[in-house]
Amino acid sequence: MKKITGLLIAVLMVATLFAGCSDGSTGGADSNLSGVVKTGGSTSVEKVMNALIYQFQNENRDVKIDYEPNGSGDGIKNAISGLYEIGHSSRGLKTDGSEDGGLKATAYAIDGIAIVTNKGNGVDNLTKEQLSGIYTGAITNWSEVGGNDAPITVITRESGSGTRDAFAEIIGLEKGGSNIIASANVADNTGAIQTQVSSNPNAIGYMSFSDVDTSKVNTVQYEGAAISTDTLKDGIYKLKREFYLLTKAGATLSPVAQAFVDFVMGDAGQQIVADNKLLPIR
Amino acid sequence: MKQTISIIGSNKSKNAVEKSMNIIYLICGLAAVVCVVCMTVYMVISGWPAIQKIGVFKFLFGQVWNPENSQFGIAPMIISSIIATFTAILIALPAGVLVAVFLAKLTPGKLSTALRMLIDLLAGIPSVVYGLLGAILIVPLVFELQTALGFPTSGSLLAAIIILIIMILPTIISVSETAIRAVPKQYEDASLALGSTKLQSIFKVTVPAAKSGIVAGMVLGVGRAIGEAMAVIMVAGNAAIMPEFLKPVRLLTASIPIEWAYSSGMHREALYGIGLVLFIFIMIINIILNKILKKGGDVRG
Repeated sequence: MKKITGLLIAVLMVATLFAGCSDGSTGGADSNLSGVVKTGGSTSVEKVMNALIYQFQNENRDVKIDYEPNGSGDGIKNAISGLYEIGHSSRGLKTDGSEDGGLKATAYAIDGIAIVTNKGNGVDNLTKEQLSGIYTGAITNWSEVGGNDAPITVITRESGSGTRDAFAEIIGLEKGGSNIIASANVADNTGAIQTQVSSNPNAIGYMSFSDVDTSKVNTVQYEGAAISTDTLKDGIYKLKREFYLLTKAGATLSPVAQAFVDFVMGDAGQQIVADNKLLPIR
Repeated sequence: MKQTISIIGSNKSKNAVEKSMNIIYLICGLAAVVCVVCMTVYMVISGWPAIQKIGVFKFLFGQVWNPENSQFGIAPMIISSIIATFTAILIALPAGVLVAVFLAKLTPGKLSTALRMLIDLLAGIPSVVYGLLGAILIVPLVFELQTALGFPTSGSLLAAIIILIIMILPTIISVSETAIRAVPKQYEDASLALGSTKLQSIFKVTVPAAKSGIVAGMVLGVGRAIGEAMAVIMVAGNAAIMPEFLKPVRLLTASIPIEWAYSSGMHREALYGIGLVLFIFIMIINIILNKILKKGGDVRG
């Protein structure tokens, strides 16, 4: 008799457990979208992409957008192979044939590249020629560009970095910045650039505008235009690059992926882009 | 008809247990071997094609690393790594052995225990913390020196060496100390009985007897220094040029973590190639270590 009572209680407990379960899974859905979208790529877009994904998932409870920040190169490669339904890139696709896997690149944001110097540096404007002179090693002293008599410490991003590619292209260096002087200090992330520039009075570097902390470093005018959201929007400040969503051209996206692209390009998404100090594309 | 008194049961089942345990152990042992073999094969398969395409000579002795221009010479990095590692060892070894002697022979028990705990703690600190320390403290200090000499830059070989010294000291100290403690007390007693002073018997008898252990510590230190990536990236400046003490350098380990994320095509393959070179470096060091450890056994045995 005791045994049977115990069994009954156990069955009852298990049943309650399941009841609780089904309650939970039917109650929370806000929309009819559900599924997982695999995305990944550029690390430069990480901040804004996480904000976009957070908001999108908030609105669609049964949706999960995966994002692996592993660099534009991987984003492009895996979008071509189909591993990512959406790839992220902070540079345009290469046209030399290595990346023409039938991808469609949709720009959704513009990022300003800020030229940063130490707080103690007096130079407030650099032209395109001066900047390329500094980065190719033709100009080695701040006095040549109107500053103090001090040697310039050039700091650059690593080969392959989207910021470096975009920077090199805009200031007229060779492809990928291959003629940046070899003795330049190489920093492999935005934080390292900012730290080195803030601790070295002679340093110059370039970094994403969205990550600049003006309490640590100066931003220098480029061709007479100071960097700000306004000058980026007006197109007065020319040192900038675009962020892309990469999808298979011509292919129909899954409903969730399509909804995410629409969200990013829509008002709410573009507002998030703007909130992250980027210039919305629309 | 009970013949055996055993917790398992009959002889038959006992044998079965023995055999199955044997197989389980064999599988565990093989797993480790398989891992090493797989890694070696993987490194060679993924690294070798790039080296072949670039050309072994051009890859190992080329002086320009410029992936955008398809120039993949890693000579500056190899030389920088070797110089950094050996300078660091050259300074850390005598310092480490002296500290080990101090801890093993000259310090009263409690102080020695406390110091040893601190040194062990030092050995366990993640390298990124050392890197941070270097970037915040050592780089600005070296910068002062660079400014005084007229060519200020940010990172430098000197800063990398200083960081490496601090990082390998704990290893050298603790291995050397263990070796010194393992020398039989009689050796020292005999020396003292013959009329030598305490310091004489330590440095003429005990330390030479512990030689093989100290060398093992040195090789371990070399291994750690040559394989270190994170800390040196944060202080070395990472310019892939021929090393000078006060100019930025890039060590062999640095290219992979720095450039991996955005690399593609030949560039990425070349990074695999660097990985293979590093792998061979470390293997050579390990082989040397094994040789020395074996020899050490003979001497003491």
